Amino acid sequence: MPYLGGEETVRELRRALSNPNVQSDQLRYRNTILKVIRAMSQGVDMSGLFSEMVKACATVDVVQKKLVYVFLCSYAALNPELSLLVINTLRKDCQDPNPMVRSLALRNMTNLRLPSLVEYVEQPLAAGLRDRAACVRRVAVLGWAKLHNLQASSEIDAAVVNELYSLLRDPDPVVMVNCLRALEEILKDEGGVAINKPITHHLLNRLKECDIWGQCQVLRVLQRYRPQSEDELFDILSLLDASLVSPHPPIMAATLSLFLSLCSGQPAVSLAALERVRGPLLAACGSGSREMRFTALCHIQLLLRSIPGLMGAHYKRFFCGYAEPAYIKQRKMQVLVELVNDENVAMLLDELKGYCTDVNAETAQAAITAIGRIGRSYSDRCLEILTGLLGLKQDHITSAVVQTMRDLVWVCPQCSDTVCFALEGCEETLQDSQGRQALLWLLGVYGERVSSAPYTLEVFIDGVRSEASLGVKMELLTATMRLFLCRPAETQDMLGRLLHYCIEEETDMCVRDQALLYYRLLHCGIEETRKVLQGRRSDPSLGVLIGRPAEPVSQWARSFNTLEPLRQGSIETESVSRGSPEHTMFDPKPNADLSNTLDCSRIEKVHSGKEDFVWMEECVRCPTIPRCSPQSLQAAMQLVNIQTLAFTPPQTLPWRVYLYTHTCLDDAPHSTLILGELLYTGEEPQKAEVHKDDKALKGFLSILTTVLHTLSSERA
Amino acid sequence: MIGGLFIYNHKGEVLISRVYRDDIGRNAVDAFRVNVIHARQQVRSPVTNIARTSFFHVKRSNIWLAAATKQNVNAAMVFEFLYKMCDVMTAYFGKISEENVKNNFVLIYELLDEILDFGYPQNSETGALKTFITQQGIKSQHHSKEEQSQITSQVTGQIGWRREGIKYRRNELFLDVLESVNLLMSPQGQVLSAHVSGRVVMKSYLSGMPECKFGMNDKIVIDKQGKGGGSEDAAKSGKQSIAIDDCTFHQCVRLSKFDSERSISFIPPDGEYELMRYRTTKDIILPFRVIPLVREVGRTKLEVKVVIKSNFKSSLLAQKIEVRVPTPLNTSGVQLICMKGKAKYKASENAIVWKIKRMAGMKESQISAEIELLPTNDKKKWARPPISMNFEVPFAPSGLKVRYLKVFEPKLNYSDHDVIKWVRYIGRSGIYETRC
Repeated sequence: MPYLGGEETVRELRRALSNPNVQSDQLRYRNTILKVIRAMSQGVDMSGLFSEMVKACATVDVVQKKLVYVFLCSYAALNPELSLLVINTLRKDCQDPNPMVRSLALRNMTNLRLPSLVEYVEQPLAAGLRDRAACVRRVAVLGWAKLHNLQASSEIDAAVVNELYSLLRDPDPVVMVNCLRALEEILKDEGGVAINKPITHHLLNRLKECDIWGQCQVLRVLQRYRPQSEDELFDILSLLDASLVSPHPPIMAATLSLFLSLCSGQPAVSLAALERVRGPLLAACGSGSREMRFTALCHIQLLLRSIPGLMGAHYKRFFCGYAEPAYIKQRKMQVLVELVNDENVAMLLDELKGYCTDVNAETAQAAITAIGRIGRSYSDRCLEILTGLLGLKQDHITSAVVQTMRDLVWVCPQCSDTVCFALEGCEETLQDSQGRQALLWLLGVYGERVSSAPYTLEVFIDGVRSEASLGVKMELLTATMRLFLCRPAETQDMLGRLLHYCIEEETDMCVRDQALLYYRLLHCGIEETRKVLQGRRSDPSLGVLIGRPAEPVSQWARSFNTLEPLRQGSIETESVSRGSPEHTMFDPKPNADLSNTLDCSRIEKVHSGKEDFVWMEECVRCPTIPRCSPQSLQAAMQLVNIQTLAFTPPQTLPWRVYLYTHTCLDDAPHSTLILGELLYTGEEPQKAEVHKDDKALKGFLSILTTVLHTLSSERA
Repeated sequence: MIGGLFIYNHKGEVLISRVYRDDIGRNAVDAFRVNVIHARQQVRSPVTNIARTSFFHVKRSNIWLAAATKQNVNAAMVFEFLYKMCDVMTAYFGKISEENVKNNFVLIYELLDEILDFGYPQNSETGALKTFITQQGIKSQHHSKEEQSQITSQVTGQIGWRREGIKYRRNELFLDVLESVNLLMSPQGQVLSAHVSGRVVMKSYLSGMPECKFGMNDKIVIDKQGKGGGSEDAAKSGKQSIAIDDCTFHQCVRLSKFDSERSISFIPPDGEYELMRYRTTKDIILPFRVIPLVREVGRTKLEVKVVIKSNFKSSLLAQKIEVRVPTPLNTSGVQLICMKGKAKYKASENAIVWKIKRMAGMKESQISAEIELLPTNDKKKWARPPISMNFEVPFAPSGLKVRYLKVFEPKLNYSDHDVIKWVRYIGRSGIYETRC
């Protein structure tokens, strides 16, 4: 930062630091050092003063020592030779009678982060482990972790590891927890601390002594423990019951996470635990601090994936306050959508309606989308609200409403009449490209029912020269073509003009190609065109995927109490605005269950000569699949771009389905073809023959499993 | 674990930066500033992911506190830690403001060093920290032997929050029950959500190592105690009990005793501290009821009438009452008629602010306003923000009552009767809103 006058300051401070008068006056000396630190934290490069600061380190004044250490720790890496000088002072301080000085010296010695100093540090660290003051032991234990981090390749002495294990029985709880942390880092390659029965029970017994952070750490480490018997499992669970309803959200979450990993074999117990945390989670949702509220909401979303009815009665807790930040409001709405049932739907919609006029446009749009989601099950009430919102004539609201209506019609074709009626006149208020695209799509598909459709399109076509959005132009082309098919007399002239413009004058290749395609298509005759353009108007089978079935807890248990749930929702909110429904890409969600079970080691190469081929088997538990009709399976598969080749007749055994799909990643140099056989015999192995592309394979399997689970739970 | 902690002012200038782990590079400080503080849009989430580093942030007035980590950590814990950090800083130098942070930056570096080591939280109890932090910096090697042994016993011993050998001439105890009552009410007077979050704050000036026992009218506590002894007592006295949804105690409270006997017993820290924090949602006494009446007369006029009713014992007085009635953005003029207190239209805040200094219980007061609007082309409908209210009442809206507070000090010769005790209840408004 040149404006701070870096060099000038450094020179001045050096002069002051080496002035004997300053050095003899403790207060002035300390103030000068203070200035150095201040400049350092503002980003001025102070490394030039290193040697002067090393000298300042030899003092009896603890405050000065601390200040100098802050400086040394940030610049030691740049001056390894000079740092050697500090070591002597530090080692002397390690013998100091005052435990505070000892711990301070030890901590900074390990904070220097210089591999060349390791040999000098080891001895005081080893002594620190046996110090009589707990605060020194705390520092020493973590010191070993830092040392290991510095030289990850070198082995830490087995004796030290043993000593750390024995310090797990230290009377000070922080030392104990630090030991856990240090061992976790040192033994990372071996999978962390060995969690056996005695250690587990020792940790559980001392859990109450630790502070919040310590408890979280212990609970996390214990996730690796597998109880030997059912009795032991229930002993542990009953010990942990108090922490499960702890008023501290971090502890509650960590305990639940541990519960879920311990009871992974017993879904009933996990579900009971989820019921039990409902109270504390709801309390966290109303906590005073917004970040904690946000975190709790994200975790509630996870829980709802398995028990949709968990919070049904408490829906009022998720009503938004006026002053809450947008990110909380949007999360709350996502939760509210999940909580809808026959009793509360009126109340909920009333509340959501209020949010639609929120000052924040994004929140308003989220509210409208939420109403649309509810509309999939309660279409009449929702359409009434949506139509009412159009009356406000505000561009961001109208845009969101039209998009929502488009998505709704795609799933519930019975709504189309109301939507067509509502569309009249709303083109005037639409400003953004997403909204106009949605309107065009609707006009194209339901053109024969909207009387003013040709006039609306004409306005668009007249303005096409000044149109900036590529998407709108493409949509306009398609919509006009579709309208031409059902109302040729009114549309013919403008279609001609549009095609002419797009082919002759348009500079964008995409639009031009599309226009050429349609032009040639028209040459092939009207029947051909109709075949190509009039595809499906709606896809009720999508409803199957939307009415989310209860997932097994194991689907998300791994990501509970991590950062993942906080990230997931933000992806969902971004996908709110997107293209036409038939172009909707299926976004494969990270499937925690699969990505871990599917190691590449399980993919065996059978054709060793042709390395391009990989053959593998994967078992999926879906008992009810064969009873569902081939049509619905096919529809569901097509939705995620998996094509079915052939079926065996429904009631035969073994029942087979052959599938294929290929990846269409833009960045991949070549695409991968996946051929699959779904086989149901009773013990159902599923085979897939693929080109080698792990990522694509994993994606395929995760999608396939999702589809199968969805279908089977729908039948169940 | 936390890789680094940064503190910025509102302009995004770095006030404090401390990196604990090597995986957080120096550019992380700038990454957060550029992507979050200087981003033009609103904050989209308290957790931001930039280049595989997650930043957790909390804002206090104009100051941003951010924790950075590369690991997939427990999010609730990091936030809890940031709150704790704020608490500790507040305990040391009061409000967290840019000026305070700048003036105390040495202290903050010291604190950061003690609280976190290698990214792991170590010691976050203000009382215990005070021995480690050399704020005035006079303490040095000249520690007397006695003081040193004290530090050692404090660091190793069981009671980290209290020094030995405290003496006072007058043994005094102040107990404050501070509650904030939150309400969201529909225009029809239906309670949409209401909760009270309360704190019991204690100031203790007691000699020695006293053992205290605290009793309140919580349902569970009373039920449990009832079972132990005279179960009729509680019923006979006819005292109302309340249901606490959840509560947290200061670390000095023996939780094992609370779990088994439901008694709150503890050795208090010296000075001021928060004994417990709780939340209730049932049977809340709402001190005020706001009845709004908004009528749109044509396109350029609004008539607003707001009635407030105080709903508590008539012998009590509420103070500092303020009602804020929001007005549309295109307001051109407001005529006000108010019976009590002072009402003013504040154009800069787009609200009518009605202030009443004092108001007794079971009273009613009203204000009516005629708002003239400028005709606008803007078709935007007025969003009608809720009417909010502030007040202070001398009772606890949750109904919580302190039943007893006993002090035992077996080693020194003072008894429970010699301690002067003061109890005070203050109920304040949190977010107290009525939709109109």
